[in-house]
Amino acid sequence: MFMIIESLVFAVGFVSSLLSMPAVMKFMRSRGIVGVDMHKLDRPSIPEMGGVAVLIGLTASTLAAAALMPDRANILLAFLFSALIAGIIGAIDDLKPLSARVKPLLTLLSGVPILLMGAYNRRGPIFPMIGQTRLSLVYPIVILIALAVTSNAVNMLDPFNGTMSGSCTVITISMLISSLILDRWEGLILSLCLLGPLLVLYLFNKYPARVFSGDVGSLAIGAALGAIAIIGRLEAAAVIAFAPQIMNAFYGLSTIGRLYERREVPRPVILRDDGRLEATSDPKAPITLARIILAYGPMHEREAARTIIILSIISGILSVFTAYLMKVTT
Amino acid sequence: MIRRIVDFTLILLFMWACMILGLWIIDRIIVPLEIPYVHPLITAIIKVGASSVLAIIWLWIWREIVKRMFWHTLKSYRRRSEQTGDGESGGKSIKGNN
Repeated sequence: MFMIIESLVFAVGFVSSLLSMPAVMKFMRSRGIVGVDMHKLDRPSIPEMGGVAVLIGLTASTLAAAALMPDRANILLAFLFSALIAGIIGAIDDLKPLSARVKPLLTLLSGVPILLMGAYNRRGPIFPMIGQTRLSLVYPIVILIALAVTSNAVNMLDPFNGTMSGSCTVITISMLISSLILDRWEGLILSLCLLGPLLVLYLFNKYPARVFSGDVGSLAIGAALGAIAIIGRLEAAAVIAFAPQIMNAFYGLSTIGRLYERREVPRPVILRDDGRLEATSDPKAPITLARIILAYGPMHEREAARTIIILSIISGILSVFTAYLMKVTT
Repeated sequence: MIRRIVDFTLILLFMWACMILGLWIIDRIIVPLEIPYVHPLITAIIKVGASSVLAIIWLWIWREIVKRMFWHTLKSYRRRSEQTGDGESGGKSIKGNN
């Protein structure tokens, strides 16, 4: 019976996203909400805000799960509201860009539903070796910061077609496997709620992209992944799964020395006349993961995107191993 | 592509091992710490502070390794491209989405 519910939740998310994505793309194009894909020589215009279809799929799958398991509706709704709040902030940013300081501050709000609905482990996170911590006073503040960090870190690692959607799909799968290892029902069902819409986004966003996710998608997906880590008590495994995102955000911020928007700083990547991408040697440009990968030499966008996804798979494997360590050492 | 992935995997493995070592230090050294004549609340704050310092050191090591690797790799590539006449000068700076 339980396997049927899980399959159903995944299917609802996948199908509703798949059906809504073409309509969202058509709507965005008709309203002129398009972005130029600057990593191609012909610079095609691509519909923006494809993340709206992810939110539609996520809402459908989470509500389906809540209807099938009304006794667990509380945590399911906390998860959904967290993702929706981040998505709304992302939509505002897509339509009227927010400043580099306001956006991260607003994303702190995405953790509020988890706190208000008590959908977290009140004693604190669980780590391998250490086991259950006792951080009951600090943990609520950590939750707010954690969701702001995950949503903005995911938003920052979107340099090439399909990297954000692909790497987040890998993180979701690693959280799902970690939940199975640790027997965490919440992590399992929430990962399935997100996995369907994410796969659809990847299908449409992979090279060559037919849609851009927009901040509406990246912030919502980041917040949803953070919420899975908190509600599913998978914090340590999530930190490892998020390694490429953490690396990218941390290096970028430490090079620039403050919060920044992409448009405010020199671009870290250069498009060559032969269509390949190259890392700039401009010392003022942020050291991002894309720039580090391209420092070895020029690459086509498809290869660069594949490299980032492979790195995500490696961190995903390490995160699953971390979950296994949590099981055997605590 | 293989070289890039191998380098990053080694860094990831190193940082993962450092995290496990840090957690071991917290578990075996910091958590059992008892300071005589000091209020338990102060002791708890010291423990959280020491653990936070470890986490910051972890992030700092991570940053330094990658920063050095990045500039070393970029300089090696620039040297090679200068010799072959292939490099940044042929490109154009890009602005826009994605």
